[in-house]
Amino acid sequence: MTDLLFLAFAAVTIGAAILAIEARDLVYGAAALGIAFLGVAGLFFLLDAAYVGWFQIAVYIGAVVVLILFTVMLVGPKMGETPLGLKRVSLLAAILVSLLLGMTGALANATAFPGQDSCGSGCDLYLLSTSLLKNYGVQLEFMSLVMAAAVIGALVLSKTDRGQ
Amino acid sequence: MVAQGIPEIGAYIGFLFVSTVALIIVLRLLVTPRDPRPTPEKKKPFESGQIAAGPGRTRFIIQYYPYLLMFVVYDVIAMFLFAWGLNLKALGEAGSLPVLVFMVVLLIPLGYALHLANHRENW
Amino acid sequence: MLGPLQPLVDMVTSPLFLMIVLFPGLTSIAIIGALLGWLERKVTARVQLRIGPLYASPAGGILQMFADLIKLSFKELFVPENSDAFFFIMAPTTGLVIGAALVGLIPFAPGIQIANIEVGLPAFLAIITLSPSLVLLAGWSANSKFPFIGGLRALFQQTAYEIPLWLSALGVIMMAGTLNLAQIVAAQSTGWFIIPQALGAFIFLVTSVAEMERLPFDLPEAESEIMMGWQAEYTGVLFLAAQGPGFVKLYAFSALFTTIYLGGFLGPSFLPPLFWMLMKTLVIIVLIMLLRSTFPRVRLDQLLRAGWTTLLTLAIVNIGITYLLVVGLPTF
Repeated sequence: MTDLLFLAFAAVTIGAAILAIEARDLVYGAAALGIAFLGVAGLFFLLDAAYVGWFQIAVYIGAVVVLILFTVMLVGPKMGETPLGLKRVSLLAAILVSLLLGMTGALANATAFPGQDSCGSGCDLYLLSTSLLKNYGVQLEFMSLVMAAAVIGALVLSKTDRGQ
Repeated sequence: MVAQGIPEIGAYIGFLFVSTVALIIVLRLLVTPRDPRPTPEKKKPFESGQIAAGPGRTRFIIQYYPYLLMFVVYDVIAMFLFAWGLNLKALGEAGSLPVLVFMVVLLIPLGYALHLANHRENW
Repeated sequence: MLGPLQPLVDMVTSPLFLMIVLFPGLTSIAIIGALLGWLERKVTARVQLRIGPLYASPAGGILQMFADLIKLSFKELFVPENSDAFFFIMAPTTGLVIGAALVGLIPFAPGIQIANIEVGLPAFLAIITLSPSLVLLAGWSANSKFPFIGGLRALFQQTAYEIPLWLSALGVIMMAGTLNLAQIVAAQSTGWFIIPQALGAFIFLVTSVAEMERLPFDLPEAESEIMMGWQAEYTGVLFLAAQGPGFVKLYAFSALFTTIYLGGFLGPSFLPPLFWMLMKTLVIIVLIMLLRSTFPRVRLDQLLRAGWTTLLTLAIVNIGITYLLVVGLPTF
């Protein structure tokens, strides 16, 4: 049953991602991207990572897709205009990308992430919280700096000079 | 294993979706009348009587675009704050120190954004 | 006895299925949504010294909304030209599904909860986060000026008020130490959270009203300005799909407020817990309905500035206060 669900969510994710790239109307593409994120959230739920799954829905589908939709509506081709011409993907690029993904997958399988399943039945949210703050506190601070830089950059870029 | 409670909400949402779409389809097929020959004016966009002119997707309110950008970042921040707040009694003061630094670092761009918002000629 | 049909019968009579279909699921949501529409018109009418719906039945017009539902089903369902039919139909339909899904997470009584998710509160808030994109798509799909402007206003309004919503709910989580809604109710057996979290509850209430696009935050549907905003092009059953989520979300948000601030189904045991839950939810619903008749509409830039400055600052202050309450004064 779990395998069937996994195949279903994986198919949804891949199918929606292909739609997202190939759709003629960019708004449909952005909506398909939202469905792809929903598939990823489903995969998280299958891994018993409910916290991450729900925040995947909240942040990716709720915020990132909204931003993409807004931008696409703003600068995409207007109705009646011809959609953007899509170049043909070269065979070389397809082979290289497949090789890269294959290597990444093999590496992830070969060197299991340390601590995987080491908590057994004691894995719960409190452990996640404690390890996040105690063991990964430095990484948390670096991440906050990156996000702060992103926000400040976005604000500066979108400032318009209408002072006159 | 699938997380607790997820199959139920999945079944519930699936059921809702199917029943809502089925209801609309059934109503459409059985009950709602259809107009085989609509007049040209009927299908035009509605503007309280005046004839619609110009493109439909006109004025983009883009001066509030930075708010959307900030929303994305602060949504992510909410995720980490929830992970912290959940365990507050166990973490105590020592465990909350990283989060305090985290929040202070991220309140600086918020202050900058609000400073910009107060200069209304920019936004 | 029924042989091959036995699993089907088992599924249909299982408690989960009954909860999904009857209470607190689909049927009860539909009925309660319709009754809330009637209640809103009555409450608004009484505040305005009118009587409100009266003729649809002997009991004060209580069947008014059902009459409206039947009327709307018989209206022609058409899609304006040059509009995007797929999103035009799917966006409000999905909005309706999302609104009803919210109700599934709430514990109405010990054992009456469709989905007891371990991370229930973030799940609820995550589902709400889906709503701005649906409104944006609905407004965009109609390809008409007023719905489009209304959709954009709704987008900015809802994204502005989501962060204070998340942060005020964080205060409850800090006090309860759990993300599970049923356990949050249990944690209030020593005292409802509304007392220590008074500031947080206030912020939660204000941001919920903004998320539901109710007055005083109904700029996206400003009836005197942009003729119903993003819902302007919807007729017939789709009008129901566009309006319905408003009432269903009212029900869901009020129930959530009751769960996390007013102790949910806790109450003296001479009445069943379900009764307490529904009564407290009703009090919050009427309170929110009274806001509609009392406050003027807020302008968009004032609204966004208030959300991002005042409410966000208050929410952070609330987090600080809650931290002091839970952990104690910092010892430097």
